[in-house]
Amino acid sequence: MSQVSIEHVYKRFGKVTAVGDFNLQVADGEFVSLLGPSGCGKTTTLRMVAGFERTTEGKITIGEKVVNNHEDGTFVPPEKRDIGMVFQSYAVWPHMTVFQNVEYPLKIQKVDKAERDKKVQNILDMVHLGEYGERYPNQLSGGQQQRVALARALVANPSLLLLDEPLSNLDAKLRESMRFEISALQKRLGITVIYVTHDQSEAMTMSDRIVVMSAGVVQQIGKPYDIYTKPANKMVADFIGLVNFLPGVVKGDRAFLEGTEVSFANDKNLTGNVTIAVRPENIKLSKTGGIVQGTMKHRFYLGDSVDYRVQVGDKHVIRVIIKGIQYGTFADGEPVYLDFDKVMLFNRE
Amino acid sequence: MKHLPRIDSKFIVIALSVLVLLYFIVFPMLILIYDSFVVDGAINFSNYKAVYSQNVNWKALVNTVELSLLVMIASVIITFPMAWLIGRTDLPWKRTFRTILVGSYMIPPYVGAIAWVQMLNPSVGYLNELFKFIFHLSAAPFNIYSIGGLAWVLTLFYSPFAFITISRAMEKMDPTLEEAARVAGASPLRTLWDVTLPLMAPSIVAGGLLVFIAAGSAFGIPAIVGMPGNIEVMTTRIVTFVYMGDDKGIRDATALAVSLMIIANGLLFFMSWLLSRKDYTTISGKSTRPNMVELGKFKHLAFAIVAGYAFVAVILPIGSVVMTSFIKSMSKGLELTNFGIDPWIPVITSAQYMESIGRSLVYGVIAACIGTVLSVFVAYLSVKTNITGRSLPDLLVVLGGSTPSIVIALALIITFSGNYGLNIYSTMWILIVGYLVKYMTMSVRTVAASLSQVHISLEEAALNSGASWLRTCKDIIIPLVMPSIVAGWFLIFMPSFYELTMSNLLYGADTKTIGVLLYELQTYADTQNASVLSVIILVIVLAGNLILNKITKGAVSI
Repeated sequence: MSQVSIEHVYKRFGKVTAVGDFNLQVADGEFVSLLGPSGCGKTTTLRMVAGFERTTEGKITIGEKVVNNHEDGTFVPPEKRDIGMVFQSYAVWPHMTVFQNVEYPLKIQKVDKAERDKKVQNILDMVHLGEYGERYPNQLSGGQQQRVALARALVANPSLLLLDEPLSNLDAKLRESMRFEISALQKRLGITVIYVTHDQSEAMTMSDRIVVMSAGVVQQIGKPYDIYTKPANKMVADFIGLVNFLPGVVKGDRAFLEGTEVSFANDKNLTGNVTIAVRPENIKLSKTGGIVQGTMKHRFYLGDSVDYRVQVGDKHVIRVIIKGIQYGTFADGEPVYLDFDKVMLFNRE
Repeated sequence: MKHLPRIDSKFIVIALSVLVLLYFIVFPMLILIYDSFVVDGAINFSNYKAVYSQNVNWKALVNTVELSLLVMIASVIITFPMAWLIGRTDLPWKRTFRTILVGSYMIPPYVGAIAWVQMLNPSVGYLNELFKFIFHLSAAPFNIYSIGGLAWVLTLFYSPFAFITISRAMEKMDPTLEEAARVAGASPLRTLWDVTLPLMAPSIVAGGLLVFIAAGSAFGIPAIVGMPGNIEVMTTRIVTFVYMGDDKGIRDATALAVSLMIIANGLLFFMSWLLSRKDYTTISGKSTRPNMVELGKFKHLAFAIVAGYAFVAVILPIGSVVMTSFIKSMSKGLELTNFGIDPWIPVITSAQYMESIGRSLVYGVIAACIGTVLSVFVAYLSVKTNITGRSLPDLLVVLGGSTPSIVIALALIITFSGNYGLNIYSTMWILIVGYLVKYMTMSVRTVAASLSQVHISLEEAALNSGASWLRTCKDIIIPLVMPSIVAGWFLIFMPSFYELTMSNLLYGADTKTIGVLLYELQTYADTQNASVLSVIILVIVLAGNLILNKITKGAVSI
């Protein structure tokens, strides 16, 4: 049993609240990502689960065991939490060989030598480092060092695996292949994972659920699809994917684009001033007709798509991304029409 | 063709600095080595044989090595746990302890020696009296004039070298390496043993060697604490030989000095090789706050131990000299009526004393000004150019700094008393040259570190705008590294101001410095005037350090 429950957790450093009222239930075998810009409290939250920080308030349970509860002062130190952890800086010990690094958690648990050798070789094979046992970390590439860290975190069959931005020191190509490797390994071992990242595509591709955080506060918890298509607020919409924000005003059951007769269904029953949000790929461009008229301002050719900027009125520039269209379809300065699909409404601050 | 003159001016400046450094650092050392080996025109070891066949010299060598080893081991045993407690645990008052332990480095060692003699001399030592009173003892429990006493004072005043080296390395170590051990199931102590200690090993050895070299090259403490107990070390023997004043004395001294130089410089070479090995470099990630080990029930015990050490190492000796400086009559007890500013009056009104202080200030300022200019050129050359041999001046400066003071002084006496052209013997210039040779390395390091932060493109932009190289230096580079230049100035000024070892050999009738004066007062058992002067030195050094701290915002301190 290795579900994790984080209840009403706060972390304050002096007067600064790094994490405020954090609540999350992670199911056994689930892959959950904590996603947010730097300084949003995601790493602090992970470090509280690991036991490197105490909660100022609240309770953390791993499996059946309460590991931190501020009310009765319960605090289980990191070494007694039965977790594996992978750090951004790899934290592979430079004075030990690859084999010794991976063997270390088993040695601490006093597993006998034969058993240890078998388990270490097994996990090294799994991360494709079977031949590298005798090497020292400084003889390995960054990606290989990260695999050593992963093997070390998994070798003792921990009930929970924590990953703190494990891929951000790797180059782009390697980052992508490691994503799939970690994902596949997690599915194969069925281990519960909490993964911290600021990279939305990492979170989207790997996670069962994503926790979007900002300024120490959870903004939304949900499946990747729901987070993308139904963001809870402006922050989430802006942080995940690209989005155009336009000012709108609610009149009855319609939200009007400010200064125009163009309106959208007010399905959230908002009132007053609102923000109308629409993603660039959900806008259609046409020369003949649409709900909004504008002028083509700039075009950026990206190979698989074209990124357009359309001037609407005096104030607004709308970004439109169209896949697989020919660059020359529209000319700069030409009048164009836009159609909005999947429009989202948010309260304006 | 337009940029030719730029290369010329650069080349001339560099060539000049190299020549100056060769003449004042390398040349005297070569002469010293030559003199020690060449007897009657032939190279041989007869000089060494003659010197070491004298029991007192051989005993001094053994004493030096034994003491240095003892002090090195004691320093590492004391400072590693303290560096760990201060750097990696939730010990209360960590920052204060850090400041005190690092700061004790700026107390002139001979002031510390004077203080400990006051406290632990067998006849009237304050602490001995206190222990006798508390435990109803008939005899003083401690005798400072012993190998143990000497090792004790040396350890207190040279262990900061180890503390600074070890705690710096600990700060640089990626804390997630330790956290990884914690999640792997290791307790804090097991983590310390399995991860922290092995990773710190090179720095621990390096810090220990620094202490070994410093203790072996020390003169002030062995002279004040060891000599009254007839404990001789290499440095005190060298001084005794030089004081004999004849050719034989000097020649005997050269053999001892070269032996000391080989030990010290050899160890430093080994140390820099050890630290330059790449095995232990690790990628450092984002700077998370390192996880602080919770001491729990040991918190108060650890606090008491560290606080006790800081009290004994720093507060107690300073307290002792300050107190002594205000005692009206040493023959009376420590009653309130026996305290007053009376002992200060004769010191402050003495022309002789005030002249010495003034002289030391002037020599310090001159050395600091010349040294800073040279440091800037040397640092620029090694950091900012790609000329062949660019790091040679840097290397020469390091060679000077790593050579024991007593060796430098002896080499300067032999070389610059007229036998090879220049005669500056018993003038202030020989003192200033000595200070420069010994202390320029700190200022070069500081300036070089800050120069390496100035990107080459800033300089190229100025050259592109049509400025000459000298003009670029004046308008762009110097202003950008100004704080480190000022810091470098203080790093030469302060140790030069209170220098004793070299000054004691190099001073003349009209160039007695405050260090020498204080040393004389102490040897003539004028402990009161010595205490007053010690307090004056401490105040000046403290003020200098506060200014330095202000300028560099705490990044550099002596």
